[in-house]
Amino acid sequence: MAGNYKKVNRTLKMTLWERVYVFEIIRGVLLTASHFFPNLWGAARSYLSGDPSIRKIKTIYYPEEVPPIPEAYRGRPVLVRGADGKEKCVACGLCEVACPPKCISIVGAMREDGTRYPETYTLNGAVCIFCGLCEEACPEEAIVMSYDYQNLCEYDRSLMVYDKEALLIPEEKLSKRLEYIRRRMYNKCNY
Amino acid sequence: MDLHTEPLVLNMGPSHPATHGTVRFLLKMDGEKVLHCETEIGYLHRGFEKQCEAGTWTQVFPYTDRLNYNSAIQNNVAYALAVEKLLGITGQIPERSTAIRTIMCELSRMADHYTNLGASMLELGALTAFLYFVEARELTWDIIESVCGARLTSNYVRVGGLSTDLPEGFAAHVKEVFPVNRVFWSEFDKLLTKNRIFLDRMRDTGGISEENAIAYGFTGPCLRACGVEYDVRKANPYLLYDQVDFDIPVGFTGDNFDRYLVRMEEINQSMRIIEQLIDKMPGGPVNIDNPAVRNPSKEAVKGRMESMIFHFKNTIEGIQVPAGEAYVPTEGSNGEVGFYLVSSGGGKPLKCRVRPPCFALTQAMGEMVQGAFLSDIIPTFDMINLIGGECDR
Ligand code: SF4
Ligand code: SF4
Repeated sequence: MAGNYKKVNRTLKMTLWERVYVFEIIRGVLLTASHFFPNLWGAARSYLSGDPSIRKIKTIYYPEEVPPIPEAYRGRPVLVRGADGKEKCVACGLCEVACPPKCISIVGAMREDGTRYPETYTLNGAVCIFCGLCEEACPEEAIVMSYDYQNLCEYDRSLMVYDKEALLIPEEKLSKRLEYIRRRMYNKCNY
Repeated sequence: MDLHTEPLVLNMGPSHPATHGTVRFLLKMDGEKVLHCETEIGYLHRGFEKQCEAGTWTQVFPYTDRLNYNSAIQNNVAYALAVEKLLGITGQIPERSTAIRTIMCELSRMADHYTNLGASMLELGALTAFLYFVEARELTWDIIESVCGARLTSNYVRVGGLSTDLPEGFAAHVKEVFPVNRVFWSEFDKLLTKNRIFLDRMRDTGGISEENAIAYGFTGPCLRACGVEYDVRKANPYLLYDQVDFDIPVGFTGDNFDRYLVRMEEINQSMRIIEQLIDKMPGGPVNIDNPAVRNPSKEAVKGRMESMIFHFKNTIEGIQVPAGEAYVPTEGSNGEVGFYLVSSGGGKPLKCRVRPPCFALTQAMGEMVQGAFLSDIIPTFDMINLIGGECDR
């Protein structure tokens, strides 16, 4: 294919204007001013009107404003609570072995009707690396990466160990993620 | 009268504000002149290579993100290519998958160069330029995040495919961001490239000759800055690099200014590659249709017994990779990245060795700053772009 090695332009010819430097400083200041004043004006306008979208700067006032999260975002892994109020997990243990830092531990049990469920399900949030391999491994879509990323830190690591109750989230709240993984990640047309 | 003087031993680092990355320089100084510089690395050693032997082939992916965290996807790709070579399925990867990998590699290269150039200028005192490039990088990372769900810890590539397809509106998003990035690029260029202070600090500092660079094992922008025409993308094309049209900038003397210019131009060339590929993006699947390599789709797992068995076996025992060894060189943003893998057959790597580009660059640090001023260490070290995660592993 076309395209080749090209020498860079190293021998810059500096005009007298550029060597004097004072004018170059002015040019540089003008360039930064062309950012500074529109930013200031945008920030003032957005402050007065209360509309953050007209602000020109990229930074946002977290936590009052939160950045938009893309659909693919991988937040805290959570368990899905089905419509019947029971966990969807069948305690097959695949997520346990798929997890690279081994932060999940499960004890399975049998319900009276013969279906399996996890008696305890512990996920150590201090060890989890948010890789999403558990979601990929789960055959039941019972563990998914939520869009939850706030307030996950604690001063004490033992508080970051989530048990089953802390992990279970109703299916409706996770519908966006569930729909996303069905449509884009593990869809048949991807294979 | 002759004054009796002795060289001063000076410790720079391990966490010095002007050296990004934890590295220690043991300097012997004569006034402002560096007589001898000894580089000590290893402060960020995490045992990556040993860790790889503990998990399955798939479980290595999240850890490769942590090598060069500025361009994580390039590491993912390099590792995936090596495993695919071991499996002998290099030719069977779907075209769309290869195209997406190429695009993501180039996006990572852009992000890496933005970070490197921006942070270096910050350390030379040019905070404004840094902010412009950080904003450009932010926009680039937004694209990466919308594809794989994380900025740094991408974990995007899988053996035989990708974790997910591109999101809807990806091409539009890229086309929206690139003009903005080009404005930032030209502003950065205006502020620095002809700036006298900048030139005085960059030009003719930290140079290395062509022979020495090759002898030290230099690759990437630092080697090309010396005038050597070597880029893995051209010399040994992988992915789709033989089907796109792009130039590779080459410098003259190998000093810091050449390295800067090479990196600046590479950003433009990466944009060029991405724009070409986006327009002729092939359709079709992103994953190989081979359940023994890539987990089958969830529908199949739920519906068919064989798929279910493959899914369980792949996850629990790992992909069965035949015995052998493989190495695939790829062009990382900092130089040649490659994974040398040894398999004894089975689900786990027997040995995984990374070729980190900045390791070779860092070992030449002593030579590059010998006889220079103390302040020359900063631009030199910035331009070799040591990434602790990759160098120390
Ligand atoms: S996201 Fe990764 S690290 Fe966290 S629980 Fe799931 S598999 Fe384990
Ligand atoms: S893989 Fe899914 S079903 Fe199996 S134990 Fe984990 S969460 Fe439960």
